[in-house]
Amino acid sequence: MISVADLLTNNRIPGNYFAADTYVRGDLELGILENRRGDRLIAIPETLIQGIYSGLDKETGQASRLVLFNCGKWWGKTFYTRFREELTDYYGTALAEMPMVEFLQSLQQCWVTYGWGKLDLDHSLHSHGFLLIKTWESPFAALAPRNEVPYCFLEAGIFASFFSQLTGRELHCVQTTCESMAADCNRFLLGLAQRLKPAEAMVEQRLDHDAIVQRLCA
Amino acid sequence: MQPQLEQLFDEAEKRYLKPEELQILNQYVGSLPARIDAYRALRDRELEVMQAVADQLQAALPNESVEKMERSIKNALLVLRYCAMGMLLNDEAFVVEKLRGWLTQKIQVFQTQMIDQTLYRLLEHRLDAVMTPQQKSLLSPCLEQAKQILLPVSASV
Repeated sequence: MISVADLLTNNRIPGNYFAADTYVRGDLELGILENRRGDRLIAIPETLIQGIYSGLDKETGQASRLVLFNCGKWWGKTFYTRFREELTDYYGTALAEMPMVEFLQSLQQCWVTYGWGKLDLDHSLHSHGFLLIKTWESPFAALAPRNEVPYCFLEAGIFASFFSQLTGRELHCVQTTCESMAADCNRFLLGLAQRLKPAEAMVEQRLDHDAIVQRLCA
Repeated sequence: MQPQLEQLFDEAEKRYLKPEELQILNQYVGSLPARIDAYRALRDRELEVMQAVADQLQAALPNESVEKMERSIKNALLVLRYCAMGMLLNDEAFVVEKLRGWLTQKIQVFQTQMIDQTLYRLLEHRLDAVMTPQQKSLLSPCLEQAKQILLPVSASV
């Protein structure tokens, strides 16, 4: 016997938390952007992203990649905390108890609403201990300087620390294809640091995604 | 609010509204008391309607997993709430926006399409019983829209 009243918690049914039309609120007069809980959001103009890229390049040269990656890691850590807090508050279940599909949907919707493009997880390398993350229409790739290696170091850092927090293991992330190099999407390999480390050199050697995966899983 | 209606208020400084534009406003405002009535009917009988649907659903699909049926019913409660709001606003696009992508994906992953098909048929019957034909006709455009999005094309009832 199904009791409909029992299905309603506090007389509410959670919907799509990160839906853009309800998640982002703004006050034009005060120049304030907030999310639906009233936390402040910041809008980053394209020029700023370009400025960060070129400023870092001038100041630090090659090291700018590491700087971006570490910024991503730092930011990803707090992003995870907020993401978990917001979802737990809204859905009333701990992140760990959330069905995988709902977790993934929330992350995907969050990514879209934040303006970072589309995201999908590919589990085909699961048995080898890697997770493949694909993103499309990334502004960080679209505004990246012309380069011979994938340039979404910021996102790679975010993924590394987000999933490290989620799984409780120290994970690393390496990007293997990039929209800034005319690839169909951005591919990020995620896995234990010591196993993924060789991939960095392979990216430097300009190996393509399939070749990198083949060697990593060999 | 309907975009067509919203546009009416956009150019106040430029000109006065034409008779046909005022007619649009009139139509909406005129239909509002009935919409609010229908909304109240739905709001007050939400549990009763859904409980009846849930009972019939279990009787119709005795071998189906309870967990899946509960998921379907929960989704339907949400859909009905969105439809009720869409009806108040006279805006079917509101319903589409809320459901498309997000709920369709969930339905696919949890594979509740077959249950949903039966559920919405039962829901329609139940709504016919508790709403007047006029109230139902106000809700129908939104509900039809939702069904079109959520149910497999060949099987929509």
